[in-house]
Formats: sequence, C-alpha cells, structure tokens
Amino acid sequence: MKAKLNSFIGSYLCIIFLSGCTAVTTIDEYRPTNESIRLDKTEKVVILGRRDAGHYETDSEFIDCVSKKINTANVRVVGEQTFIDSIYPWFEPRTAPKGLPRLKRLMQENVVRERVTQQNIRYLVWLDGSTETMGQGGSISCAVGPAGGGCFGFAQWDKISTYDATVWDLVELTEKGRLRVDSEGTSYLIGAVAPIPLLTPVKSDACGSLGNQLKKFFTVD
Amino acid sequence: MILQLGACGSVTNVTVSKSFPAVLSTPKEVTVAIVFTDEFSGYSGTPNNKTTIDLGSSQVNLFKSAFKGLFRDVYFLNEQTPLPSDTEMVISLSNAEVQVATPSENYLNVFEVWLKYNLSVTDSDGRLITNWFMPGYGKTPNAFMYSKENAISQATNVALRDAGAKLLLDFYRIPAVNQWLREKSSESKAQ
Repeated sequence: MKAKLNSFIGSYLCIIFLSGCTAVTTIDEYRPTNESIRLDKTEKVVILGRRDAGHYETDSEFIDCVSKKINTANVRVVGEQTFIDSIYPWFEPRTAPKGLPRLKRLMQENVVRERVTQQNIRYLVWLDGSTETMGQGGSISCAVGPAGGGCFGFAQWDKISTYDATVWDLVELTEKGRLRVDSEGTSYLIGAVAPIPLLTPVKSDACGSLGNQLKKFFTVD
Repeated sequence: MILQLGACGSVTNVTVSKSFPAVLSTPKEVTVAIVFTDEFSGYSGTPNNKTTIDLGSSQVNLFKSAFKGLFRDVYFLNEQTPLPSDTEMVISLSNAEVQVATPSENYLNVFEVWLKYNLSVTDSDGRLITNWFMPGYGKTPNAFMYSKENAISQATNVALRDAGAKLLLDFYRIPAVNQWLREKSSESKAQ
C-alpha cells in the first residue's frame, strides 16, 4: 500500500515537472509578399517599444532580448535609448508616430530625415505588448523555529505574454509586415521543506519565438 | 509615544537626473529672453507631505536645452537682470503643480508623476502675448524592483522629457504666439 502511494506521488510530481515548465506559444504573421526584406551591409534596424498606453508599457528588457536575437543574424540593430535620445523630442511616448500617415508627415521634417539617414536606419520595428500574471491559486507558508524551518504548501500562477511587432520601412514609408506572439504557461512553487520553484519562461519563450520569426523577415546582402 | 508614532512615517526625498539629450529641431529667428526666477531654479515639489522632489536644476537644464531648439538667439536671465536691448519676446516660467500617484493610490502597477508649468509670454514692452499652462506626464514601466524614491525619480525624468517635448512641438502652435510671429514677420517685411 505504502509502495503504491509512493509511486502515485512520484508519478504526480513527475507529471508536474514535465508539464509545468513549458509555455504554449503561438505566432501569427502577416506579410504583403513572401519575399524577405533586403538590407545592405550598411543599413540598420531599430526596435522600439510602445509606451503610450495607460496601464502597461512594453518593457525595455523585452526589447533588448529581441534586439539580441536579431543581432545574431548579422542584422545591425541600433539601441532603443540611443535612437530615442538622438531624435529627441520626436519619439517620446506621447510624440512618437502611431501610424504611417504621421510617420510620413514626420519624415517631411528635414532634421528628422537627415538624422535617420545619418544613422543608416532603414527599418523600424515597433513592439507593443506586455506579460501579465493571471490566475493565482494555492497557498504556501514558511516558518522558522528553534529546531529549524521550512515551507509547506503549493502555489501556482499563470502568465500570458502578448506582443505585436510592426515593421516600417523608413525610406519607402510603408509597412512591411506584422507579427503577433502569444505565449502562456503555468508556474508552480512546491513547499516540501525547501521551496521548489518550477517556473515557466513565458516571456523568454515569447522573446525567442518573436526574435526568430523577425530574423526570417530580413536578408542581409 | 508621539515621537514613536512620528518616526514610523518617513519622508522620501527624490533627486532627478540633470542631463537631457540635445534637441533635434530648427530654431526660428527670434531673440528671446528666458527668465528663470530664483524660486524656479531652486524649486522642490511637494506633491504630498511625505514626498519632496528636487526639480530646480533638472528643469532649468531641460528648458535651457529646449529653448535653444526653439529660438536662434536666447538669453537666460534671472528676475534681477535687465533685458538685453535686442530682446523681442520674454518668457517667464513657474511651477504650477506637481502630483504623484503610487500603485496603492492608482491601483495600477506603475508610479506616475504629473508636472504642470506656467509660461508667461510677453513682448519686449511687457505686453502679455499669452499665458500657457503646459503639462508633463511620466510613469515607470512597472513597480517591480524599484524603491519608491527610485521609481518617482524615473517617472519624474520621463515627465520632464515629456514637458520638454510638449514645449518643442506645441509652442509655435499656440494661436497667440503664431499670430505674434506673423505680425512680426509682416512688420519686418514692411521695413
């Protein structure tokens, strides 16, 4: 009987281990043509986060992560803050163009067009989204006494990452494509004397998938 | 007992970054005197009785940079300095309001800061052109990993940059300023 119970607990923990740490990621892609976007060796890409929404901001950590993924494909990426500072005040959260008509008007400003050309920036990728913790359940409590301490209980929470990427051509002033990534997964914390975290890398999965897909958008000549 | 209770409430003193990026704009050919009063240059905002934000030198640095992007010739003066003879427009700045909202107040996972400035714009003879209230807004990306002081400092920095951007992009859209510039331009053409 005891052996059966042990085997049941063992199998249960094993299932949690195996299923607990994987995120389900979906990518939707839209491109007007199947041809990849061509970049010559001098042209660069800048990746910017949308920060005009009231209740969330696309965090710079995510932008850095996607930039690093794309950089590995020989695509030269300009740092987000470097670009925003170089073109101040045109790309602040409330002044950045939200659509192509506004971008077209903005590029009519000589100083802006010259600065973009000076930096050899050909494409701008807007990232808009966030990672949120949704359902939380269970409880875990920790205690310390003269004889030692420990944590007991079980907690779980769901995380959802949703990010949209839009690619703009700063020379032709057109949209070159859109991507959307949804990633979700459940993380667990098991209190068995020592707390055992089983974390699902939802945001990291979203970054990896989005970065890899964006890499396929570009071909460096 | 009163001393013990008083010690529980701490006051947050916030300092803000004093450097801002150079502005990218084409200045217009106007000679302007910008008056920074001593009160404005040493201003500390107190949005509530537990928070003080040292804004003085940061806002002076920001506006010096922004006004150089708006006008070709700019004089920065304090209220005691007489106006140079070639001054065409005088702008005096003052702080109208500072507000802060923490996650416990706004029920969002962000710290928010609002700044409001008043720009009194006159011609060289002291005739009022306009009185413009200019807002600036900033928030942190989230509330994680920030001390309250650091979070308010970052949100204030964003709000200052926003105020600078608002000034640069909207100043010439103020109808009274636009009208004054058109009159000035037609006067110089007539001469």
